[in-house]
Amino acid sequence: MKSHLLQMMLYSTLVSTFFAVLMRRTRRGQVRLGAILWLAMVGGALAMAYLMFPFPR
Amino acid sequence: MTMGEPMVRKEASADREAADRRWTLLALGAGWLVPGLGHILLARVQRGLLFGAIIWSSFTLGLAHDGRLALRDTRQPFLTSLQVIANLGVGPADVVARMALYGVPAYRLKLNQAGQTGDRAGEVFRERARSGVAIYGTAYLWTAGLMNLLLLFDIWDIGRRKKA
Repeated sequence: MKSHLLQMMLYSTLVSTFFAVLMRRTRRGQVRLGAILWLAMVGGALAMAYLMFPFPR
Repeated sequence: MTMGEPMVRKEASADREAADRRWTLLALGAGWLVPGLGHILLARVQRGLLFGAIIWSSFTLGLAHDGRLALRDTRQPFLTSLQVIANLGVGPADVVARMALYGVPAYRLKLNQAGQTGDRAGEVFRERARSGVAIYGTAYLWTAGLMNLLLLFDIWDIGRRKKA
């Protein structure tokens, strides 16, 4: 799989699921933390990408 | 209540604590050897299976994406040692993967006098860097090992009853 976006989404899914289950005991808390982490990772990376867009190498 | 009863209760409690400690240490060892197994031994079967699935998925994705199993390089000893430790987090699966990939369980980058890689492990390591997806694969491999190392702390907390 060579798509950067899909790689990032897959990686974020694995990591956010891991930390959500590790740090929260209730199902509701796990879903909430997992969603926050996933959005922070994917959304943060996309936001950074758009911020850097006007400054190519 | 007789005078001896509190003493007997105290001894029974100490015995139980020693048995708990032994079982926790066994779970720690099992958790490192087979990711997920430590939680299963502490009766956290669902969590153990889920953690195991996540870590094995990450490890498999890493190998499938030409991930580079770190070799300690004397030119950058600190960083490359940390990378090796991250890889070793998944336990013996790392050794098996190295034997499959490098032919030997190599952990050190051997350089000849010209500063070039001098053995098969070094060649494969260098070759993999050319793959377009190797950076992802390497991240998956490190992540698998680091997640399993974090799980060892969780196993310790559960075993010492600091966590449900």
